[in-house]
Order: sequence, then C-alpha cells, then structure tokens
Amino acid sequence: MATFELYRRSTIGMCLTETLDEMVQSGTLSPELAIQSMTEALETQVKSKVTIKGHLHTYRFCDNVWTFILQDALFKNEETQENVGRVKIVACDSKLLTQ
Amino acid sequence: MAASTTTSSVYIHVIEDVITKVREEFVDNGGPGEAVLNELQGIWEMKMMQAGVIVGPIDRSSGQKQAPGGPTPVHDLNVPYEGTEEYETPTADMLFTPTPLQTPMQTPLPAQTPLPGNVQTPLPGTADNSSMYNIPTGNSSEYPTPISDAGGSNGNGDAKTGRPSPYMQPPSPWMQQRPALDVNVAYEEGREEAERAASNQPLTQDFFTMSSGKRKRDDFPPPYNNGGYIPQQDGAGDSPSEPQGGYGNQLPASFFKIPQSDGPIPEPYDDVLSTPNIYNYQGVNEDYNIANTPAPNELQASTPALVQQNDVQDDDEDEPLNEDDDDPDDLDDVDQGEELNTQHLVLAQFDKVTRTKSRWKCTLKDGIMHINNKDILFNKATGEFDF
Repeated sequence: MATFELYRRSTIGMCLTETLDEMVQSGTLSPELAIQSMTEALETQVKSKVTIKGHLHTYRFCDNVWTFILQDALFKNEETQENVGRVKIVACDSKLLTQ
Repeated sequence: MAASTTTSSVYIHVIEDVITKVREEFVDNGGPGEAVLNELQGIWEMKMMQAGVIVGPIDRSSGQKQAPGGPTPVHDLNVPYEGTEEYETPTADMLFTPTPLQTPMQTPLPAQTPLPGNVQTPLPGTADNSSMYNIPTGNSSEYPTPISDAGGSNGNGDAKTGRPSPYMQPPSPWMQQRPALDVNVAYEEGREEAERAASNQPLTQDFFTMSSGKRKRDDFPPPYNNGGYIPQQDGAGDSPSEPQGGYGNQLPASFFKIPQSDGPIPEPYDDVLSTPNIYNYQGVNEDYNIANTPAPNELQASTPALVQQNDVQDDDEDEPLNEDDDDPDDLDDVDQGEELNTQHLVLAQFDKVTRTKSRWKCTLKDGIMHINNKDILFNKATGEFDF
C-alpha cells in the first residue's frame, strides 16, 4: 500500500485523485470506492531505461524510503535528455512490493 | 507540456487498465454503475490531456462507452461533465486557450490595484456619458495639482507625513502614473458625481491626499461661494480691493489677479497650509475649490489596495504549508521555495543504493519522472551522484 501511494503525486495519480475527489463531492462516488480504485491505479508497461547523473545535494533514508535531492542533474533515456537544476527523487523499496 | 507518444500511450493504457479492474466493483453489489465509471474515465482522461501528458483523442474507449451511459439517471447530476466529455478533444483546447486570454486581462488590472473595482464598473454604465462631460473639468483639475505641488508643496508634504506609512505607499504610485491614470480618474470622477450629484467635490479628490485640507475647505466654501468677493472685502483694507470687486463682476480674468492680494489675507482665517490651496481655487474656478475635498476618496482607494496586497502575501504563505502536507518527509526550506514554481520530481522504486566515499550509485525501477513539464516513464534507471 505504501508503495502505491508513491505514485499518487505523479501526473496520472493527481489527475485520478482530482477526478475521484470531484465525483465523491458530487455524490456519484463513495469515498470507499475511490480508495479502492486508487490502489489499482499504477501499473506501467515501460521498457525504457534512464540514466541519471548529478550532484547529490541531500540524501535521506527513512522508513525504507530514499530521498535524493540532486543539483544540475542530467536525465538521459533513449529518446531525449533533460537537464534540471534541482530535482527530487523519491524511491520506495521495491522489495516491499514483491513481498 | 510536451508528452512523448510512449508516455501518453502508457498513461492511456493505465487508465483503461484501472477502469477495467474497477468495473466489477462499480457494476456489482449495488455499485455506482458503469455509467459513473465511464464518467470517471472521461474526466480522468480529460484532466490528463489538460495536464499535457496525454496527446490526442482517446475516443476509442471513452467515447463509445459514454454514449450508452448517457441515459442513466445518475448523469443528470453531472451534466457539466458530460458536456465536456462529448467535446473531449476540443475542450482540452478550449480550456487551454481561455486561460491565457484571461490572465492578461487580469494582470493589468491588479497593476491598477487601487482602482480595479471602481474603474471597471464606471466604464460600461452611464458613467461614460458623465465622464464625457467631466473630462474637461478633470483635465483642468489635473493642472492645478502640479501647481499645488509647487505652491502648496508644503501642504501636500505635511499631509503625507502626517499619515501612517501604509497610506504613503499607494499614493506614490498614483503620483507616478498620473498621465496614464488620468483617463481612469475621469471615469471615477464621473461615476462619483453621478452617485453624488449633490456635490462636485469628488472631481479632484483622487489627486489630493490632504485630509486636513478638506476640513479647512469645508469651512471655506461658503465664503468662496459668495465668490472671490469676500476676499475682496478683506482686501478692502488694502487699496486694490475696491477696484477688483468691480472687475470681478465683469471679467473672470480679474479673479486671477485677486488671489495675489488674497493670499496674505486668508492666513489669519486658517493655517498656513490652506493658503496654497486658496491660490489654486482662485486661479481656476469654484469647481476646483470643491474638488480639493476629495482627499477621503484616496484614503478609501488606498485601503483596498493594501488589503489586496495582504491577501497576496497570505497566499504565498499558504502555498508552502500545503506543500509541506504533501511531503512525506520534512524537506529543506530551500526546496520549498523552488517547488512553488517548478517541481521536478522522480517517483520510483529502488533496487539498490550503494555509496563509495562520496560517490553514490543507485538502481531504480518503475519510475515516473516529471521534469521540465514533461512526464517521462522508465522501467530501469541508474543514477550516479557526487555528494
């Protein structure tokens, strides 16, 4: 469950949350159903690989969650590469999912 | 805003997958029904398109399913949603276009913060007509103000200094913006006059900040209404007074000459501050005398401006608080400031994180990156960081 919540702050998660909030407020959905559907929300079929380089400004490992704050980070994948002055990486332990 | 086709397709797939998996929940056991589910999908996809992460129409599933869902009674409650869904692709465009249009409209108005409410309202109504008539007076009133600055600089300075600092700030922009704002002022004046038909005073009120001045003027008006005549009587002690009385009736030009002799005389009546004002009155006309009273209007105008500024500040304060709520961990204060503007975020799962001296390596998987307003997905990621 904790790991599923990880993706809620992504664009797709936020859009789903907003949609569910609106429908719950309008009475067409009950909050219980909204929670249930949220847990189903994130499964991706992605094959791409990304490399990240940058200056590690902050690292933190708490409650099995790694948080990195990078400065002048470079993200590369097969298609493009992106430069970011400051980016935050939040990563949950993948083992928690398989268990 | 750019969305890669792969990311877009993955998002569409995820949405459909979620909808499919939840369908049983919606249909069975007295759930909200498939119509609601289709609505959910439509709104979700619409939001994703608005966010710019899904490209193009997604009609394949939503469009077909929504149509049969229409008849269900539940839809009546959510009529607006259906409307948007029907025009899915256009709506997304429609939603994007209006926002830029509105923003420019709004931005200039706040620049004029003290006026916005007042300026807009007078424009459409009868105020235009009144403003037309008022324009000459308004323009003429503008001229006396600089004069008053020169001659009555003491009076204005005193009035400003007497006020608390907050009141000081708003008037200063007005002083600078005078040329541009003149038109607006004319409109306001026109409106105010229409509302306050009784007195012509509001005309110059905008320009004058002197509260003390109006009190004094309130005292003055009756004598001045009698005309420049009274000061002439005062001047009667002086030799020129008598001839001026005769000229005053015949020629307005004589009024301009009168103030000179009047200048010294009015002082005993009131404070030194009042004298410069008197010059202005006599130099122009009775209308301007009335106009000087306006000081209160400026006070009223300035206060709302201050309130708006405070609101903005409050908003700024609120935003970081909200972000704190979202953050699972306490973040550096430095981060919060930048997150307000652009938030670059990577959400993923880590397989392994290692460190050798100051060199960190990590392997991530199943990540969603939101970087430079782009959504990028990855199955695997390797990171190498220098601390």
